[in-house]
Amino acid sequence: MRLTDEERRILDGAGGEPQRIALGVLVKLGEVYGADRLVEIASAHLVASSYQIAGEAGIEIYTRLAEQGARVKVRTTSDPGSIDFARWRDFKTPAEYAERQIRIAELLDRMGVIPTWTCTPYTTFNVPRFGEDLGWSESSAVIFANSVIGARTNRLAAYVDLCAALTGRVPRFGLHLPERRRGEVLFELDPDLSAGFADHYFPALGYLVGQRVGDRIPVIAGLPRATFDQLKAFGAAAAASGSVALYHMVGITPEARTMEEAFGGRPPVERLRVGRQEIARILDQMSTGEGGPVDVVGVGCPHASIDQMRRYAALLDGKRVHPGVQLWVCTNSVVEEMARRMGYVQVIERAGGRLMVGTCHNDCPLGAWGFRRLATDSGKFAYYTPTTVGSECVFTSTEACIQAALTGRVERP
Amino acid sequence: MSHAGVILRGRGCAAGACEGEAIVSRQPFGFWQGMDPRTGIVIDRRHELCGASVKGKVFVFPYGRGSTGTPGIFLEAVRNGCAPAAIVNVTSEPMIVMCAILAEAFFQVRIPIVDGLDANPLEALRTGDRVRVNGTAGVVEVLSRP
Repeated sequence: MRLTDEERRILDGAGGEPQRIALGVLVKLGEVYGADRLVEIASAHLVASSYQIAGEAGIEIYTRLAEQGARVKVRTTSDPGSIDFARWRDFKTPAEYAERQIRIAELLDRMGVIPTWTCTPYTTFNVPRFGEDLGWSESSAVIFANSVIGARTNRLAAYVDLCAALTGRVPRFGLHLPERRRGEVLFELDPDLSAGFADHYFPALGYLVGQRVGDRIPVIAGLPRATFDQLKAFGAAAAASGSVALYHMVGITPEARTMEEAFGGRPPVERLRVGRQEIARILDQMSTGEGGPVDVVGVGCPHASIDQMRRYAALLDGKRVHPGVQLWVCTNSVVEEMARRMGYVQVIERAGGRLMVGTCHNDCPLGAWGFRRLATDSGKFAYYTPTTVGSECVFTSTEACIQAALTGRVERP
Repeated sequence: MSHAGVILRGRGCAAGACEGEAIVSRQPFGFWQGMDPRTGIVIDRRHELCGASVKGKVFVFPYGRGSTGTPGIFLEAVRNGCAPAAIVNVTSEPMIVMCAILAEAFFQVRIPIVDGLDANPLEALRTGDRVRVNGTAGVVEVLSRP
């Protein structure tokens, strides 16, 4: 790998111990994956900000780095933590667990990380631009930044993201190279499917695409339009069920204005047709349990936007959540504040729903609740719930999820 | 002992050398939600090794199913002395490789990783084999088979 004089000096320790260690990690990674050099990044986003991911090893690493004077060199934001910092007692989080998460927050503060505690940093505070190189990890944020914005980042691992933040660099390989961003697998939607493409088909299609492509780059053709939140839901599901870090939607995402542009002028290596039958089959797979009584409803994965908050409030206005059901709406503190100003939080809380801010079902210890069946409109939740929450899961539309919260019962879609 | 002396050559993804007992799975593996870092025991109920320990072993599997949180669990296991001693894959995905690089950078523990071997390691290696892994040279050697 070609290193600049400055980078060599950092490796020799001239920038201090944190920078020496961090750059050493990035150089080694680059060597394994054939990077020619390091590239400067506009921002970083850290996934090991949650205690559930970082654990005691993470606290040890952060403590050592902070004591050695580590400071992030580029704009750096934090993924959700493992507690709602304001309401963790209401979510039955053990006090000693909360204390460890608060310790991580203090250490990240010392390093200059912006405490966003969100998986959607691209909506505020860390908004990438087209073509910018980034050092991000959170899989749903990586896929959004690459696909919807056209920024460039590999899926960095926990702590490698911090190495990128401390040095302002990443090794240049994979998705940083324009020729490695071309589509590989074509998913063609049947016209009768795309004509009646329901909102909850976006995460379902993402789940299907992730399963089929693994870590290859999918191209989706045949969708007439998609909203910001639909693209967010599609990508989060694809990044969970597969390791997808970039997708193209012809006519919708910026590197796929045409089919030819999406594939970089080459033919697809594989073509798959998606019709009503394929969607029905994936919807069936996404739910692990049968329909029936539900004890928890989870929406806001990835973190809910203000548009989604408005939708939940409209569906809940004047109604009452069933007494045996927990309705949890996951979002970040920025959306929470705006939704409060607009009255949505009051409507949701009056109906008996709860906001879960700066964290989510997947990041919190929920063992004390003993949940048996979760209903969600998130393909990512549906993928992880059987292990993280330990409950059965029914995936369905947002409307059906809210309806389930009101009636205490959920049916498979 | 007829298989002693079998040598596989491939790509060294993470440096270091060690000897250990092989544990082989034909299924891909994800450490995140897949292994208890306090014990090294596989906890993924969907995985064929569920209940078995990979602590101190040469863990052989086709490829990693990599959540970006993987190093969180992996380094916790390293810190507890419960990580595998070495990893042999058909193809090592970046998350696994990053785990080994981080383990050396932050905990001074080397976990050699080898992939791209000239024979399929899932067939050439068997659970219980005594194996030597050299992650610098990219070599895996069967020392003895019970």
